[in-house]
Amino acid sequence: MTTICSNQQALNSPLAKKLSEDQCRKLYWACLEILERTGVQLFEQEAVDLLKKAGAHISDGNRVRIPAGLVEKAFATAPKKITLCDRNGKRVIQAGGHQSYFGTGSDCLNILDHRTGERRQAVLKDIEEGMKLCDALEHIDFVMSMFLPSDVPQETLDRYEMEAMLNYTTKPIIYVTTEFSGCMDAVKMAEIVAGGPDALAQNPVAACYINVTTGLRHNKEALQKLLYLSEKGLPFTYIPSAQGGVTAPITIASTMAVNNAGVLAGLVISQLKREGAPFIMPGWGGNMLDMRTTIQPYADPEKRGQAIDFAHFLGIPTFGLAGCSESKLVDEQAAAEAALTLFTDAIFGGNFVHDVGYLESGLCGSLPQLAICNEILSWLDAFMKGIEISDETLCLDLIDEIGPEGQYLDCRHTLDHFRERWYPNLFDRSSYDGWQAKGGKSLGERAVEDVDRILQEHKPEPLPKDIAKAVHKVTEDAESKI
Amino acid sequence: MANLQDLTEAVIKGDEDKIKLTILELLNAGTPAKEIMDDGLIAGMNIVGGKMETEEMFIPEVLMSAKAMSAGVEILKPQLTDEENAASGTMILGTVQGDLHDIGKNLVKMLMEGAGFSVIDLGTDVPPAAFVDAIKEHNADIVAMSALLTTTMPKMKETMEAMENAGIRDQVKVLVGGAPVTENYADEIGADGYGYDAGSAVRIAKEYMTN
Ligand code: B12
Repeated sequence: MTTICSNQQALNSPLAKKLSEDQCRKLYWACLEILERTGVQLFEQEAVDLLKKAGAHISDGNRVRIPAGLVEKAFATAPKKITLCDRNGKRVIQAGGHQSYFGTGSDCLNILDHRTGERRQAVLKDIEEGMKLCDALEHIDFVMSMFLPSDVPQETLDRYEMEAMLNYTTKPIIYVTTEFSGCMDAVKMAEIVAGGPDALAQNPVAACYINVTTGLRHNKEALQKLLYLSEKGLPFTYIPSAQGGVTAPITIASTMAVNNAGVLAGLVISQLKREGAPFIMPGWGGNMLDMRTTIQPYADPEKRGQAIDFAHFLGIPTFGLAGCSESKLVDEQAAAEAALTLFTDAIFGGNFVHDVGYLESGLCGSLPQLAICNEILSWLDAFMKGIEISDETLCLDLIDEIGPEGQYLDCRHTLDHFRERWYPNLFDRSSYDGWQAKGGKSLGERAVEDVDRILQEHKPEPLPKDIAKAVHKVTEDAESKI
Repeated sequence: MANLQDLTEAVIKGDEDKIKLTILELLNAGTPAKEIMDDGLIAGMNIVGGKMETEEMFIPEVLMSAKAMSAGVEILKPQLTDEENAASGTMILGTVQGDLHDIGKNLVKMLMEGAGFSVIDLGTDVPPAAFVDAIKEHNADIVAMSALLTTTMPKMKETMEAMENAGIRDQVKVLVGGAPVTENYADEIGADGYGYDAGSAVRIAKEYMTN
């Protein structure tokens, strides 16, 4: 488990910020102004009704203008910290503040097959292997499905994804479902594993990833999921995708204002449905469309940092995005973009940081790339720790005892402490000859071997047979309905 | 004295005023409208298309050119014969049922309009029957469908079947696209073409109109 947390010791561990408190306030007021003046369109009647009852202004049936006071009230009940448990109910993730956790992304259509080097459509087996790998990788704290299975009925692919995640790892899950019915089925499966609805609400093993059309246009499925999960007290993300230059103005400030107006609208609806509903907001701000290639870039430097600052200002946990790349290969670009993005999210203090291992702007995934990200996270885990400056760590007596001419290699103190220092696993520190003697392999080649070894050796704890069967029944039932 | 070269350059620069002025000058000087259209405006847009594919021009610049060109086309239209006008083509465009992704579709729309097509945009979440109705109503030449989800791609096939059942499949060319869609899939469902981006969509649509 990663213990990455920026700002953990006063003035003694790394911390980065882009926005000042006053800038955050100005941005927040812009969001409030958009909500009051322009308003949002909600394609779900219950959400409109809830807001109407609370005092919002409704026009044209579903155009809702939300007074600032309702937003302020929502902050009073929205949790500042969100817990996720592993499959055995252990409360392994306490996300909020500057505490960072890292996990994969979901639904890559393609995989760069590490056995053949070929890019091909992903299948269910790839998810199973991906989850097995995640289960073994020390610095992957939660999982998303990684791949989209092309070899199962597409109407129920989200059920297969959830089942594979529950079966092949004990780590906490963030699931994505195409429609509302899939969301209810994912909850059903999680309830079976946790031991019922109450047990799940108390010790949630899974959170839902909800996407919203844009900041100002909220689609029906997104709102249905939000209302359902809020009522059950289960955690979810609420991620509108305003895209600068397309569905919002191109400037970062304005894209963020439009997007976060939508986030705050969602927050208000969730707290009206049930006070205390665990709500997670986006940890990136100012999405753009690459105006040369029409790709939505994931590793864009300019969208990083400020949204985490803003969320800290509001006191709402974030869903970060890092460890991803635009590259088509596991190459130098992939390693650089993964490292830089993980570094920024760690140092700013994003909370649930997802999309680790993504290639090709979210359309392709690779197991060796994920193993490389795990190594980068191990490096960051060491980097982010504060340094203790105390009598014990300064050990002036020892310095005096050894004197100018001595050495420390065979000191007890060295033996006691040398293992505290960080050592790489995949990154190579051999001498040239030593590296050649080990086969003279590149990082990519070593990562492939690591993945092969883990897939062969690691045995994730299986779900009890009867539970696995009950979970599978949910998929079967969904299938029989189509 | 204005010439067609000036017009072509004005299209590349996206200079709407210059385009309008140059067209009026050319018409006054007796240049045939068809020639102004083909060798001035369209020639300019073709260069813009090329610059977009080589990533020299960015989308907002391309759209600016496209918009400026449309203003020019408006002036020329009354001067063209019906036959010449029809040559540009009508396209029905929409994101298929169940799918709300529309950014790529909107780009396709804007570039198509820039290339002189008249585009009927049905929006997102478009059921097969709505495509069929629109084809009939607008006597369309091309139907373009966008899907960004593997779960909604089958709706492309259903829409093809609906066209078949309505007996209008042969009247139109069907073009498909969107991130998960592939050339293979297009073949599999019997579509006429697949475009991996908005620029290629324009290129293919133009081929359909010249054949
Ligand atoms: C932005 C985005 C969204 C936005 C959409 C906003 C909007 N107004 O469109 C929001 C946040 C709403 C969203 C929602 C969802 N999304 Co989404 N989304 C994306 C993302 C990141 C980028 C898409 C995009 O706009 N790209 C930019 C445009 C310009 O590119 P484009 O659409 O590909 O279009 C270009 C070409 O494909 C082509 N083209 C497009 N259409 C056509 C048509 C023709 C005829 C031709 C010739 C060419 C052509 O030309 C375009 C321009 O060059 C993709 C990932 C990706 N890399 O594609 C995921 C992605 C498509 N989404 C995905 C998912 C899972 C979802 C959700 C189900 C998530 C959820 N549970 O909430 C929902 C589904 C909602 C629904 N019912 O549609 C998955 C798809 C998985 C699958 N099943 O196939 C993807 C691949 C991400 C991932 N890896 O997980 N999403």
